[in-house]
Amino acid sequence: MTTTRDLPMLKRSATVAKHNGHVVIRHLDEEVTLEGAAAQLFSKMQPQLDGTATLDAIAGKLSEKPARLRALAEQLASVGVVAFLSAKDDAALMTGLQFYDLHKDRSQYWLRDVYAHPLWEKIVTGKASRAQVIGFAFEKYHYIEGAFEHMGIAAANASPEMMPHLARHFIEEYTHGDIYRKGLRSLFPDDLVLRSQPLPSTRALVNYLSESAQRSSFAYYAGNEVLQMTENTSDEKAGSAVDEFYAAMRKHYPYTDKLIDSFIAHTKADQKLGHADAFLHMCGSVPPLSRREVNDALNVAKNMAEHLLLFMDGIDTFYGAFATVPRLPCDPLSE
Amino acid sequence: MTSIQERYRARRIYEITPGNEAVGLRLNDRVVELGKQEFDWYGKVAAWLPSVRGLADLSGDLGMDEARVPKFIEALEKAGLLYRLDETPRTLTGLEFHQRFSSVLGSWLSEAFAHPFWERMMSGKGSARLFTGWLIELYHYTKNANRHMPLSCAYGHEKPIKQLRAKHYAEEWNHYHYFMKSLKALSFTEPQIADSVPLPMTLALSNFMRQAAREDILAYSICSAVLEGTTTDRKTYNPYYEKSAELYGIPKAAVAPIYAHLDLDVQYQHSDLFHEILEKVPSLSAERASRVLDYGHQLVEHIWLWTDNIEKYYQVESNPMPRAPFDALLD
Repeated sequence: MTTTRDLPMLKRSATVAKHNGHVVIRHLDEEVTLEGAAAQLFSKMQPQLDGTATLDAIAGKLSEKPARLRALAEQLASVGVVAFLSAKDDAALMTGLQFYDLHKDRSQYWLRDVYAHPLWEKIVTGKASRAQVIGFAFEKYHYIEGAFEHMGIAAANASPEMMPHLARHFIEEYTHGDIYRKGLRSLFPDDLVLRSQPLPSTRALVNYLSESAQRSSFAYYAGNEVLQMTENTSDEKAGSAVDEFYAAMRKHYPYTDKLIDSFIAHTKADQKLGHADAFLHMCGSVPPLSRREVNDALNVAKNMAEHLLLFMDGIDTFYGAFATVPRLPCDPLSE
Repeated sequence: MTSIQERYRARRIYEITPGNEAVGLRLNDRVVELGKQEFDWYGKVAAWLPSVRGLADLSGDLGMDEARVPKFIEALEKAGLLYRLDETPRTLTGLEFHQRFSSVLGSWLSEAFAHPFWERMMSGKGSARLFTGWLIELYHYTKNANRHMPLSCAYGHEKPIKQLRAKHYAEEWNHYHYFMKSLKALSFTEPQIADSVPLPMTLALSNFMRQAAREDILAYSICSAVLEGTTTDRKTYNPYYEKSAELYGIPKAAVAPIYAHLDLDVQYQHSDLFHEILEKVPSLSAERASRVLDYGHQLVEHIWLWTDNIEKYYQVESNPMPRAPFDALLD
């Protein structure tokens, strides 16, 4: 009989490097180094770790003792680089709070590319163009103003458990676009700010959230939480990095003074509302999640991290190639 | 805002060509040559028009007496670089609108395909991986037509236009099979491709089309027309496929289904569909005409950023191709 610990699989996102008899397996932020007999045994069994064969079958194929293979596979499983597959996995349930921890762990990893995006460095060192800097402020405005769309759709389509959370979140957030608009009005007429067009990459982010909000309240918020994680700077270290960023921006681009005031005002407004804990409360109130629900919500979260990277790329690349800002809509004579 | 700022806007510049003495600015219908000094002044005017800064600020920026500024603005208008908002027609017939669209489509497509990716691919600096990645995204984009084409019928109000849109859907809905066939010729299995997930910008294209479908059937139709405009004849797409096949060793069996798909589009005359739709629209207000045009131009920008997203992702050899959905247990 096949048991839950019988179909070992090397995690798909793990990478394996071999040199000087050592095997280094990397997965997310984890790194496992195998030496000597363990390295040899892993190298031998690696091609079989595809989740289709039992440990006994692998042992037979490799002429190895099953107990030896099991010991290594279970050690690798304990550090998260090997999984054991089973049909039972589809029925396994995860509590909302377990999901919260998993989501936080994975999202922080997925957000690394966003934090490492070259646009931050360009702004801090004064190498970004005027269009990129003002474009950054406009796109932030559009993305926050997009709360009307995705948070409104989320509240209107909410599951019973999520409804009070999503209603509260919409009511607390819908005016936040105006905080950014106030900053932009220091440079542009209000009417033009209101009519300005977001970049396709910013539109993509808002639309993706809106589409997710229509079909699953929980998956939607798992995605929105990825955005919240980048906005909530109550953590001292992250807060000081944000302060340094704004200080450098003020120094290199003095005309953005009022824009930066609006960014800071928004961060403070979010912190005051305690949005950093909103997802934790939601996870505490949902019924246990199936594997399918967990994967759905985590796929939305991963997609949101990719959309955030796209958001940064859009500002950097598009305003770099097309320097017009603000982006006014077409009319019959503009073309 | 000054009266000048309320009255004038800058027309879209599609290309700027710097020369030794002058700078060429390509508008949709002409090329305007400006001396270097005038070009610098023009840039300052274009930045000042949508701002809250006063005439004195512009005068200072230009180093020009305030009294001379309006004359310079008028000269820019005469050259076609600026236009007056009060000259916008209050209404357009459907066919007048189509005429404007047709006159600008070429410029829009040149903007959409101005991304350096195309030059890179044609000059041999691309790769088979980039070609394949682009094909995978094209598969997703074509399959995702099922997410937006029927929606445009559902949200349409005018029966004759809904019927045209439904017919288009009936002719297009399963065209993703052509790309599946191409990808199989590149040694992918059907489940590998069918179960994969698109890049965010590929998804964004179909989400934007869904947004257009919900907003206005003409906004949706102009986006569809821009996309169909890329496939009007073989001359526009053959060189890319032929060159890629030659440079990157793409087998003929992978290119043949793409040609078959494009030929089918031409056979169906899908590029004429927008004309047929607009024939059924007696009048568009300036507001609606602007909104519809704007959707068309946003689609152009989507294509540019889509290309950018494809290049950035697939040029990294270690990125998975195709992209499997995330699984908490397997990943």
